[in-house]
Amino acid sequence: MSKLDTLKEQIQEALPDLDFVVAWERGFDPAHATPYHIKEEADLDRMVLDATCAHNLASFLTGFKGKKVGVVVKGCDSRTVVQLMQEKLIDREAVTVFGVPCRGVLDKAKLRRAVDLSRVESLEADETTVRLSANGEEQELPREELVADKCITCRYPNPLEFDHMAGKPLEPVGDEATQCARIEAFEEKPVQERFEFWVGEMDRCIRCYACRNACPLCVCRDHCIGDSRDPHWVSQETDIRNKWMFQLIHASHLAGRCTECGECERACPMDIPVLMFKKKLSSAVKELFNYESGVDPAAIPPLFTFQIDEETINERGW
Amino acid sequence: MCDCKNPYLPEKATILEVVQETANIKTFRVRLDDEDKMKAFTFEPGQVGQLSVFGAGESTFVINSPPTRMDYLQFSVMEAGEVTRALHGLKAGDKVGVRAPLGNAFPAQQMKGKDIVFVGGGIGMAPLRTLLLYMLDNRDDYGKITVLYGSRSPADFCYQEDLDEWMARDDMELVLTADTGSDDWQHRVGLIPHVLLDMEPTAKNAVAVTCGPPIMIKFTVQALEKLGFAHEDIITTLEKRMKCGVGICGRCNIGTKYVCADGPVFTYAELKELPNEL
Amino acid sequence: MAKTVFLPEENLDAWIKAMAAERRVMAPVRDHEAVVYAQVNDASAVELDTQATESPKKAIFPQTETLLSFKRMKTAESPDALDIEIRESIEAEPTVVFGARPCGVRGFAMFDRVYDNKRITDPYYKARRDSTHFVTIGCDKPMNACFCHWVDSGPTDDDGTDVLLVPVEGGYAARAVTDEGKKLLDLAETTTRKGVKAEADAVAKQALEAMSEAPDLSDVPAKIMDAFDDLDFWSEMTAACVSCGACTYLCPTCYCFNITDEAAGLSGKRIRTWDNCMNHNYTQEASGHNPRPTKAHRMRNRVGHKFGYYPDLHDGTILCCGCGRCIARCPNSVDIRRIVMRVKER
Repeated sequence: MSKLDTLKEQIQEALPDLDFVVAWERGFDPAHATPYHIKEEADLDRMVLDATCAHNLASFLTGFKGKKVGVVVKGCDSRTVVQLMQEKLIDREAVTVFGVPCRGVLDKAKLRRAVDLSRVESLEADETTVRLSANGEEQELPREELVADKCITCRYPNPLEFDHMAGKPLEPVGDEATQCARIEAFEEKPVQERFEFWVGEMDRCIRCYACRNACPLCVCRDHCIGDSRDPHWVSQETDIRNKWMFQLIHASHLAGRCTECGECERACPMDIPVLMFKKKLSSAVKELFNYESGVDPAAIPPLFTFQIDEETINERGW
Repeated sequence: MCDCKNPYLPEKATILEVVQETANIKTFRVRLDDEDKMKAFTFEPGQVGQLSVFGAGESTFVINSPPTRMDYLQFSVMEAGEVTRALHGLKAGDKVGVRAPLGNAFPAQQMKGKDIVFVGGGIGMAPLRTLLLYMLDNRDDYGKITVLYGSRSPADFCYQEDLDEWMARDDMELVLTADTGSDDWQHRVGLIPHVLLDMEPTAKNAVAVTCGPPIMIKFTVQALEKLGFAHEDIITTLEKRMKCGVGICGRCNIGTKYVCADGPVFTYAELKELPNEL
Repeated sequence: MAKTVFLPEENLDAWIKAMAAERRVMAPVRDHEAVVYAQVNDASAVELDTQATESPKKAIFPQTETLLSFKRMKTAESPDALDIEIRESIEAEPTVVFGARPCGVRGFAMFDRVYDNKRITDPYYKARRDSTHFVTIGCDKPMNACFCHWVDSGPTDDDGTDVLLVPVEGGYAARAVTDEGKKLLDLAETTTRKGVKAEADAVAKQALEAMSEAPDLSDVPAKIMDAFDDLDFWSEMTAACVSCGACTYLCPTCYCFNITDEAAGLSGKRIRTWDNCMNHNYTQEASGHNPRPTKAHRMRNRVGHKFGYYPDLHDGTILCCGCGRCIARCPNSVDIRRIVMRVKER
């Protein structure tokens, strides 16, 4: 039985006790899936499970207070569930987690560079190849060239937290050493070049806050300093300074919490690599506290607490 | 460039006087700095203005002095957010910006010859004040005038000077009611709708004008319906978050109506046609 | 109708240079992963074969503009009080928006009805609107998210443009639509090519035929009102939505804005910036009350405004140009076509 069929069965059985289950259905064309709510059995027919299912559905969980819901998560998404448990932002008892092992999702920027993403007629992906037809042209491309960067160095293909699992566990493809590769490569450039890079990237930001709203762990939400007049730290102008300031504050709020699900970067309609800010702080947290977020539900994020003597920080140099 | 008037450009004005009405409400009397413009300024009761505190922003308030008394323009401000807090920090002599008049007005002409029943709750008395004073200044044009003004407590009544004067007049009736009383409170104690029903104002050839917190309006309208007022004869004025104040920025709409331009004055009959999005 | 002439592809560069000598030319250029409108002086950086990521609306309606600036100062007349100087700043320069698609350009006709009408004129908008003209490129093939023909337009609609270019073999079939367009087209080296108008018509026909049938949306305003109080329906429609502003800011017809004061010390400015009705704070009142507290309420207003209220107020004109950016760029692929059809089919 396919993973999808197993998942459908699992959801069907749990559905009577749940208000709804968040899953993916086909979007406006074969290259896009879209989140939806399964409320009754008939809704199951629309469910899909493939390489277009990039969305982290766990990002909706904090909006469902008071409801009993189900959510389908990939490995990386499950770290969000773990992080939400750590921070007590969800009631674990009220959430049924349907886990699916994942070998990678397609990255829209990479797709757009390779094919005419606005005119995809069909798309199919298996373990190694993506077969698609766009603008009348049929193409076969290696999957590894089209999957998101986070998938190339994936260490958690299998959900860490789940009530049901659909499919056989997969082997990780990355290890600890490769996690920071993207940041390390970037930091080899001189500071001036890095500065100019970000000036270039932030210029086209339109302050839509897709990155912020797609983030599962953003807690400021409607009290965000990006909109706030009290405190009034950021003006409404669309100059690079204000836009960059927002990114840095958002990343700081996520230090030690961000699980690098990549929703921020995936959501950006202008394809700005905003995940890099969070990755930088995650690697700093790893270095300072030897801590990884979203892995152990009983852990406390290092910036939520303090210890008089940090195990990993030798302040006195003795 | 066009020679059209710039609807976003405020007029400079100076605060003449600040009156502390209640713990969190202040009244500001302002005069436009440009004397010619002040002398030429016209408006109708019910119209509003955007008051600017430069650096904080703008906020919408009804011009609650009547056009028959043009020594100043009066606005009453409840402290609630950034702009109102900034306003509350100002004193006589300070500069503000005024963009007025905006919006529509009470249908004062159509109300001629009728009995008028005013029902105001808290700061909702502000828009009623302008129409009431206008009518008192044109007393012969209107019939019986009844005012019911209610607030949370005896300390929450605005316009003390006016209230004393209105109480003393014999060509209008003023009833005050507080939700909760106090030892030296000499007026009624009770919720506005109950007191209104108790007063039994006649609905025949009468128009009711009401303003106050949404929940008060809801129950007051129910009481007015019980008393026999038709929906076309119940008039209210609405509040919304506003920015441009001239029906362009798209924010203050209820369905197809923009509260800043098609309102803020609406009859209850008009409100019933609009989608349920107050 | 003016004559259709032929503009060879290789003559685009000289034409843009000629226009840029007299006016600001805004055209789609690549900006890393996106295609945005920027000022150009020649054709070298111009990208015409994809739909630009953003719409051209910033050429007339910039994302940030200063309405007025203010400065506090002491005066000799009253040294213990601060007087204030207020200065408005209305700026416009002659501009050509080159290379937008018909869908991108139509948005301005919808802005006009709101910003420049019998009741009121927005002088900032009007100054730029009056000094901006358009050379638009029609489409020879729809994208998956295109639906311009649903909203009284089409792949080669010339409504709102000054010059229309339709892609044909070797270049473009070019036609001046207005007098100003004729002036612009005269700056280009065009030739007559026998049958070029028929070629353009064939491209237009083929493009339209490639699009699936358009539904009749004239009953949608009433249907939206019928569905107004069904918040379960609107919740279902917004299951995937994250309430960001991507759809609004990329939309050629979205025109809502915010006004804020940004001050430092004794001086500052009052600025107008794009705002979006999908944001929670859009209708947040200082009392704490919010008429649209959830994304369901806000999507109801968005769809209501575009397909209901605006048409009711403006002779049935739908506040949407069918460009599909809101669908293609939505982080979660919310499809407004689906929502409108679900409303229609209730």
